[in-house]
Amino acid sequence: MGLVESIRDRFADRLEPSTFRSRFFWKTAESLARSPLNRPQWKADRVSLSHFLAITRDAYLGKGPVVWCNLLVPSELVLGLGCIPFYPEMAAAVVASAGMGPRFIDRATEAGFSPDACSFHRCTLGLSLEGFMPEPAMLLAVNYPCDSAPLSFAFCADIFGAPQVTVDIPLPGRRDGRRLLAAQLGETAARLASFSGRRGHEIERGLAKAIDLSNQALHHLHEVEQIRKRDDCTLDGVDAMGGISVLYGSLGSRAGADFYRLLARELRERGCAGGDSIRLMWMHIKPWYRQGIFGTLARHGARLVCEEYTHATWGTMDPRDPYDSLAAKLESHFLVGPVERRASHLATLAEEYRVDGAIHYNHWGCRQSCGGAALVKQALQARGVPTLILDGDCVDEREYQEGQISTRLEAFLESLDSRARPA
Amino acid sequence: MSGAPAGGDLVSWFCTYTPLEILDAAGLVPARRFGDPASLESSDTLLHPAICPYVRACLAEEMAGGGPHHPAVFVNSCDGMRRLYDAWKDRFRDDLVYLVDLPRNTGAGAERLLSLEFCRLARALAGLTGTEVTAEGLQEAAHAREERRLAYLAAADGTSGETRLRLAMGFHAPAPDGMPAGLGGEDEGGGVPVVLTGNLLNPAGLVAGLDRAGARVAWIDLCNGDRAFATSTLPEGEDLDGLFASLARKYLERHPCARMADAGRRHDLLVEAVRETGARGVVYASLKFCDAYLYDFPAVQEKLGSEGIPVLRLESDYADGHAGQVLTRVEAFLEMLD
Repeated sequence: MGLVESIRDRFADRLEPSTFRSRFFWKTAESLARSPLNRPQWKADRVSLSHFLAITRDAYLGKGPVVWCNLLVPSELVLGLGCIPFYPEMAAAVVASAGMGPRFIDRATEAGFSPDACSFHRCTLGLSLEGFMPEPAMLLAVNYPCDSAPLSFAFCADIFGAPQVTVDIPLPGRRDGRRLLAAQLGETAARLASFSGRRGHEIERGLAKAIDLSNQALHHLHEVEQIRKRDDCTLDGVDAMGGISVLYGSLGSRAGADFYRLLARELRERGCAGGDSIRLMWMHIKPWYRQGIFGTLARHGARLVCEEYTHATWGTMDPRDPYDSLAAKLESHFLVGPVERRASHLATLAEEYRVDGAIHYNHWGCRQSCGGAALVKQALQARGVPTLILDGDCVDEREYQEGQISTRLEAFLESLDSRARPA
Repeated sequence: MSGAPAGGDLVSWFCTYTPLEILDAAGLVPARRFGDPASLESSDTLLHPAICPYVRACLAEEMAGGGPHHPAVFVNSCDGMRRLYDAWKDRFRDDLVYLVDLPRNTGAGAERLLSLEFCRLARALAGLTGTEVTAEGLQEAAHAREERRLAYLAAADGTSGETRLRLAMGFHAPAPDGMPAGLGGEDEGGGVPVVLTGNLLNPAGLVAGLDRAGARVAWIDLCNGDRAFATSTLPEGEDLDGLFASLARKYLERHPCARMADAGRRHDLLVEAVRETGARGVVYASLKFCDAYLYDFPAVQEKLGSEGIPVLRLESDYADGHAGQVLTRVEAFLEMLD
């Protein structure tokens, strides 16, 4: 039994909501994070870990108005208005990586939530019902990437007696769509400012600073992308997917910009990893608990060279026009609108990163990704990219069928290997 | 179950937020599709099995048909419906396959967004049919729809659950003479009064089972039931822009699907329906894999509980081969209410 499992088995069931509201707990966690015993794969990870520990601590200790956000809510908006963004879907991933997903998923089931719903959201519902989530001043969702967030947030809003705001991103390419979206973001900003107490110029300055920091992060992210496209660089997709939280949850902060700056520098320093691996693209999110997929990839000399969720889709934003800029950022996301936008995004990645194959991990209950998987596969295969669809679950380890997944994955990798190295 | 059109200027539609008045005014004959629940597995090549069975049934039916494939208007109401649009567009790419956006919110911004969508739809349909949607045409179509709505409510009064649902679906189908014939009107008398709520159900499945078990379904708060007929969508205004704005407001204010942002309003309307009809309980029955109703249930249960209204949860796979098995649960629930 490994250390994580040992700690989990000893302490998981004893965790109380009050644990996370204890200053001692956060001091200990931050000390451990800074300790030489914690040696992250990348120096940049130290920056992101410190950032998320700090804002999560602040959220639990009530050091500012906490705003729950779903994945596509631009963190610049929340940070720029002096609020603390908290992403419950990311919290579910952390819970799953600690092996504690089932406890909270089962709690949601007891409360009447169907096992057919997304386990990211069932986990957050269970956490909310058990009192483990930081109390929100507001719950903010946009209507993409999926229906689950606005719907599960509605239930949590009732639990906490907090207001819920849902922003409607219009379908891409609609006349006046950008303007209507920017207006909603402006209205949302006014509500956020009412929580943080910011007024007039403070609002403008806060948003301008957040947009500027986000632009800095974008600049360095583009560097990272260029290095990853050019070389068989040492950053593997398994690690890169850990950065999803940075891309979606920390832009607009100094840490977001520093993360990508450090990552780009370290990628340049570490150089090339060698070029004889099978190059793969990972679609949707990875399972966050321990499983055998990535070990199987490594055994077959396969590497994840790009991932669906770790790329910028927007351009440099104008700090003087934050709402229009953030509206443009939101509109640009490949998950907004019909699946052909997602398929096009993935086909472009496959080409630019010269992948040999692609794996779509179907997360149970995710209508937006599973629902479009067959069409994505069709689009990639039409471009000569062999594609494997694996059914599983990102959060609930009990729904992970090791034998079945392993068999299908091995067969796929062998077929790719034989294509790359014909007899 | 097939609502498949047989020819002419038919246009397929799927979601009750489709502005039928605009389709009518563009010279088309709107026909709601209900799909083929018996063959939904044949859609698995394009849609994952954990997607709404109604969506899969609609695609399966169209894939099985040899054509002609009529224009199809979808609404961006949920992930399932958007994925149906995607699959339809991929499979029948030579036809007009159109997606109307739908906000989750109500209020001025949402009304503006939806009225622009209606305007855009009217232009797209005019490009297809050559018939411009005019203010007069839209008013005339809206009045005809209002008459149809009132006719449904009159015809549905006193009918059993299955008959009532079939009648509502009949009123969603094309009817050249204005009204569906041969359905409804009979008073089927007794039974334990209940309100049925959920997304969309097969009248021959769970709903017929409720009748057999001794329920009298007094109100069908379903997407293919009474919900679309509950409130008027008759727009006010003189010019086309004003009419689109008014129509948008009316659609956003109608009895909501659980996908809309204001869940509290939906729950209040449900309690109101129970009080007005004298129902003794609520049957919450929904198709599998519909997130809007999966996430809605615990809050509904709590709301109804706080009002002292008993609720029974049922789930449907649309084909409802298991309907007989749930009969016992329904009977036990009705006994408790009686």
